[in-house]
Amino acid sequence: MLIKLQPAVKQETRRIAYGTLILTAIMIVVFIVIGRFDLTVLWGALLGAAAATGNFFLLAVSVQQAAEKMNGVQMESFAEKDAREESEEANQEQKQDASADTPEIRQAKRGMQTSYTLRMLMLAATAIIGVTVSVFHPVATLVPFLFPQLIIYLWNFTQSHRKEG
Amino acid sequence: MLELAIGIMLAGCALGAGIAVVTGIGPGIGEGQAVSKACEAIGRQPESKGAVTSTMIMGCAIAETTGIYGLVIGILLIFVAPSTFVNLLLKAVGK
Repeated sequence: MLIKLQPAVKQETRRIAYGTLILTAIMIVVFIVIGRFDLTVLWGALLGAAAATGNFFLLAVSVQQAAEKMNGVQMESFAEKDAREESEEANQEQKQDASADTPEIRQAKRGMQTSYTLRMLMLAATAIIGVTVSVFHPVATLVPFLFPQLIIYLWNFTQSHRKEG
Repeated sequence: MLELAIGIMLAGCALGAGIAVVTGIGPGIGEGQAVSKACEAIGRQPESKGAVTSTMIMGCAIAETTGIYGLVIGILLIFVAPSTFVNLLLKAVGK
C-alpha cells in the first residue's frame, strides 16, 4: 500500500537527509585528520547515516498517518470548548472531561508507540550489525544516529538567530 | 582474584547497559502523549493540520534523542566496553 506523502514530510526528510550527509562527510574528514580512516569507517558511516535518515523518515510517516486519522473527525473548536467550560463553571455543574480521548486519538497514540518500538528495534539491529561485523567501524556506525537531532538543534538555532538579526 | 575483577567488570557493564536502555521508556510514552494532543488540536482546528504535523515531526525527533542515547550507550556497554576494559585490566596487571 503506497502512502501519499505530505509536503511537510518530504521537506523535513530532505532537510535531515542533506544535513546527515554533510555531518557524515565532516565525521569522515575528522577520521582522516586523526589518521584513523580506512574503508570500515566509510561503510560504517554509510550504514549509520542510512539508518538515521530511514528512522527519521519512518517517524515522519508515522506522524502523518496519526494526523490523517483525524480526517473527517469533528471535535468542538477551542473557542466552543472554552465557552462550554465557562458556562459549566457558571452553572456549577459537574465538569465533563473535555479532553477525553476519542477512539481515533487513542488509535493514533497506540500507532505512534508501536512505531517507536519498531524503529528502536531497527536501530538496535543496525547498531549490533555495525558493532559486531568487522566490515563496519563501530564508532562511525553509531555516531550518525545522533545527527538528525543535532541538525534540528542547529536549524532552530540558526533560524532564531536569523529572526533576531 | 583477576577472575573476580573481570567478573565484577562484566557485571557492571551488563547492569549499566540495562539501566541505559531504561531511558527508552520515556520517549515512547512522551511521543504517544504528544501525538494524542496534536491529534486533538487537529480535530478542533483542521486548518492547522500542516503546521501541527511539521511541528510534531520535529518534536517527536527531539523527544527520541534520549532513547537513542540510551540505545547507543547500551550497545557500546555490551559489545565494546567489556573487551576494552578487560584489555586495560590485563595491561595494568602486566599479563
